[in-house]
Order: sequence, then C-alpha cells, then structure tokens
Amino acid sequence: MNSSLTGTICAKRLTKTFGNKTAVNGIDFTIEPGRVTGFLGPNGAGKSTTMRMILGLDAPTSGTVTVNGHRYADSPAPLREIGGLLEAHAVHPGRSARDHLRWMAASNGIPTTRVGEVLELVGLESVAGQRAGRFSLGMGQRLGIAAALIGDPPIVMLDEPVNGLDPEGVRWVRSLARQLADEGKTVFVSSHLMSEMSLMADHLIVIGRGEVLADSPIQDFMAEHASSYVRVKSPQSTDVEALLWGRGLDVVRVDDELRVQGLDAPAIGELVGSNGMLLHELTLVRSSLEDAFMELTADSVEYHARAGVAA
Amino acid sequence: MSTLVAAPSSTSLGRTVKSEWIKLASIRSTWWTALAMVVLGAGFTTIISGVVAGDIASGKSGDSPGEYITQGLIFSQISAVVIGALVVTSEYGTGLIRSTLAATPIRSTVLAAKALVLSGFLFVVGLVTAFAGYFGGNAFFRHQGIGISLGDPHILRSLIGAGLYMAGLGVLAAAIGLLVRSTAAAISIGLALIFIIGQVVQLIPGTFGEWVTKLMPGNAGPAIVVPVDFGEHMLGPWTGFAVYVAEIAVLSMAALALFRKRDA
Repeated sequence: MNSSLTGTICAKRLTKTFGNKTAVNGIDFTIEPGRVTGFLGPNGAGKSTTMRMILGLDAPTSGTVTVNGHRYADSPAPLREIGGLLEAHAVHPGRSARDHLRWMAASNGIPTTRVGEVLELVGLESVAGQRAGRFSLGMGQRLGIAAALIGDPPIVMLDEPVNGLDPEGVRWVRSLARQLADEGKTVFVSSHLMSEMSLMADHLIVIGRGEVLADSPIQDFMAEHASSYVRVKSPQSTDVEALLWGRGLDVVRVDDELRVQGLDAPAIGELVGSNGMLLHELTLVRSSLEDAFMELTADSVEYHARAGVAA
Repeated sequence: MSTLVAAPSSTSLGRTVKSEWIKLASIRSTWWTALAMVVLGAGFTTIISGVVAGDIASGKSGDSPGEYITQGLIFSQISAVVIGALVVTSEYGTGLIRSTLAATPIRSTVLAAKALVLSGFLFVVGLVTAFAGYFGGNAFFRHQGIGISLGDPHILRSLIGAGLYMAGLGVLAAAIGLLVRSTAAAISIGLALIFIIGQVVQLIPGTFGEWVTKLMPGNAGPAIVVPVDFGEHMLGPWTGFAVYVAEIAVLSMAALALFRKRDA
C-alpha cells in the first residue's frame, strides 16, 4: 500500500440512497492524520450513514470510500487500521466489558494484554467484569471508545462521542481526541453541536442534506462564516454615520444603532472623538460559530422547528 | 505497517472462530440453555424408559427399548433452536452485528465461523445429552433384564447421531435468524418447522405427501438419532441425514446471499 495514504479516509463521489431518499449525495473529502477533523451537521444530514459506509457496514449506492488507501473490507485486520465508535453502542447487554473487548481482540489477532490496557485507558477497570447492560450511557460510551482503541489503530472515528456524557466525561473525550491527534493519529469526530466542534476540532467538514457545505481549517471557517462588526450608538448618529461613510467604512443602520465593519472599535472611537462627536456605545459584536453553522445549514435542515407559537 | 499486509484467509477464519467462541461462551443464557438441553433430553429419556420398561419386559408391549432410548431428545430440539437463533438474532437486537462486521468485514467468514462454533458446541452438548439419556434410561431396561449394550447394532451411531442432529439444528436456526433478523420470529419459525410443519404435511394425500413428509428437516434429520428401523415412513439414517444437511446448506446459502447484500 501507498504509505502516504496511511491515516487517511478518502471519499470520492460517495452516494447512498435508501429507496427514493438520498442520505449522502456524491460527497468528496479526504481526512488527514495528525489533526482532529470534525464532521458537523444537523441530525439526519448523513453523518452516521457516511461513517457506516467507511466501516463497510452499508454499501455505497455509488462512489467509493477508502481507509488507509484501500477498501475497508480488503483489510485482513481492520481493527488495527481504524477504530470506530458508532452511535448505537453495539454491545450485548449480557456480556461483560472485558469479554466484549476479548472477542474483539481475538477477531483481529490482537494480544489479550491490550484488553487491560484499553480498560485502564477509559477508566473502566473496576467494572470490567460487570455486564454491559448495567452500564450507564456514559460508561457504555467509554466501552465503545475502548473498543475503538483496541487495535491501537492509526485512525479513530467517533460518532457523537460526547452524547450522554457528564461534563467530566465530555472533557475527557476532548482531551483524548487531542492527545490522539497529537500522537499523529487521524481523529474523525461527528457532532451536531457546533459548540462542541469549536472546542475539539482543528478541521471542519460541514454536511447538510447529504452534501458537503464546507471543508476547511476551523480558523478559516470562522473567518469566512463568523462575521463581526462594531456596534456604535451616538446621540449624533446621523453625523457619525456620515463621518464613517466618508472614511469608506461599511455602515449599516439598524434602528438607533450603526453596525460598522472595516475598522476596529478603538480606531472608530478615536475617529469619532477627534471629530468632537459623542459616543454612547462602542461594542465589538461577534456572531458565534453556532450562528455561522445555523446560517450555513439553514436550508439543509431536515425538520425545521416552526417559527412562532403553534396555533 | 506490517499489519496491513494481507494475511491468508484461513488465519482470518481461525481468528473469527476464536472470537465467536468467546462470544458464545461469555453469555450466561448459552449455558442455561445448554443445561436445559441436557436435563430435558436426558431426563425425559430416563422417565419414559422407566415408564415403559416393565411392559416391554413382560411382553405386554410390542415395542423395543431402542425406540425409547433417544426419545427425550425431542425436547432438546427446543434448546438447539434457541441457541442457534440467538447466536445471530441477539446481534441484530443489540446492534452488536455492527461490531462483528467491523471486526470481520468478510460476511462469509462471519457466517462460517458462527456455523463452526455452533455446530461444534451443539454436537458436544447433544452427545452429552444422548449418553446421559442412554445411561439413565438403560438403568431401567437393565433392571428389567432387557438392557441395551453400546455394542448393539446402531446404538453408538444413534447417540453420536444425536450430536450431529443437534449441531445441524443450531445452524438451521442461525440461518433462519439471518433471514428474519428477529429473535422471536427465528425461534417461532424454527420450532414450527420442526414440530408443526413436519406433521401438517402428512395431510397431503398420496405418495407426494408421503415424500414431502419424509423430506422435511425435522423428519429426515432424526432418522440418524433412532437406533431402530421405522420402515418406509422414514428415510434411512444416513440418507435422511444427507437430506437434512443438504437442506441446511441450501438455507445457509440463501441466508449468506442476503447477509452479503443487506446493510448492517
């Protein structure tokens, strides 16, 4: 295999339809090692379907997806190549955590000693002999992550890993993702929460209605989609508006406030002051990533909440 | 990365067999159901033999001890169907099938490993059940002076045949499970096929009806389990077993075809 493809997940015109419904519509992306790639989209956008196709669980209707440069099913020991946590926990409730990891290890020729290692890594050693059916959602999630790490794979793929976790668990997943990426592994994490992604991801792939809406480093995404302006309020707002216009700035009047782009707040304050005008407010307003995400996916959300109160 | 070099597929099957065995052995219900198989099967053989031994010895009944010595295995069939179905359907019910297929993406390997582990396990449990029933039931026959020796014609074949029959039944139920992907449906269909449909087809008139009845898996398969000849109502032991195995093979191939095609 081509070693330059180690640690990559590569989708080409990947498409999946269920009946007449298109879940994933000809998407292309390449996920690279050494960073956390966030896979962001509203529920029903096609994230889980894409991840199932990566693991060969669902067959693409057309297009291809490769892991480390080849089809998933062509790997003789896939758990050593990519570890996946899927949304459904995929654990038998009657089997202990340790036995669950034991059969997974055996299936890919992974030494049994690794079972203890991953149990310790996710903090489940003390309950390893308990049946997984008794686990809380958070413990189940940790077991799923242990299973994903069993083969010490170069790629780790987590579908909504923070779902059901308490704040401490959420922090743990974040730092684990960071640590794995810093070790040079490929980390691919899905979420429907922009706020979560902004804390975890280095790179963002935004998906809506089965199509890639954005694929860029998170800073670029913020710069491009999260706009900011300076809110200016003044008793002489007409004069201030004329002054700022005269300097070639972008000024929009909304009610009694002016929204100014093109100059930072201190500079605007100095400019207005040095022209002898009064200021009542001078505030930098940043639209959040959440806003940017909402704006970007607004047309692609499957089920819109109706605006206003239901009659 | 040395791990990315293709390994021979036989290694892959061996690893999958090992993992399927860990799965089967690490679920309590497996052992409870296996225990039920032994207790029900050997227990009923013993009780029935105890009830009929006197009449056979006195000549009041024209039967022979051989007709009863594997009789209790009728009940053991339930356990074999349950274990076989659960090996597949519990994975669909819990979502575990996704982990299984992520670990072993070649679906024919998964099915082969499940079939090997199931048939091996049920062969042993079936064998234990048959021998326990033989020793239990034969105690009564011996007491009446009509004991059967393991060296008597067909006895050893029927006891080993019980293991083979149970092994087949587990694979049959697993194949049904793969087709319907539901525990309740798989067990119902499996039990209906063995206990009900095999009887109902007797109602089909004429030679055609006779043949259909003889060829049903729950009628063809058990020929190998009974040490006595039931004449033309039943196929011969090895002919019947061959028909039974062929039927399981066909059903398994159909199950595999769907398994390969369907998303997990």
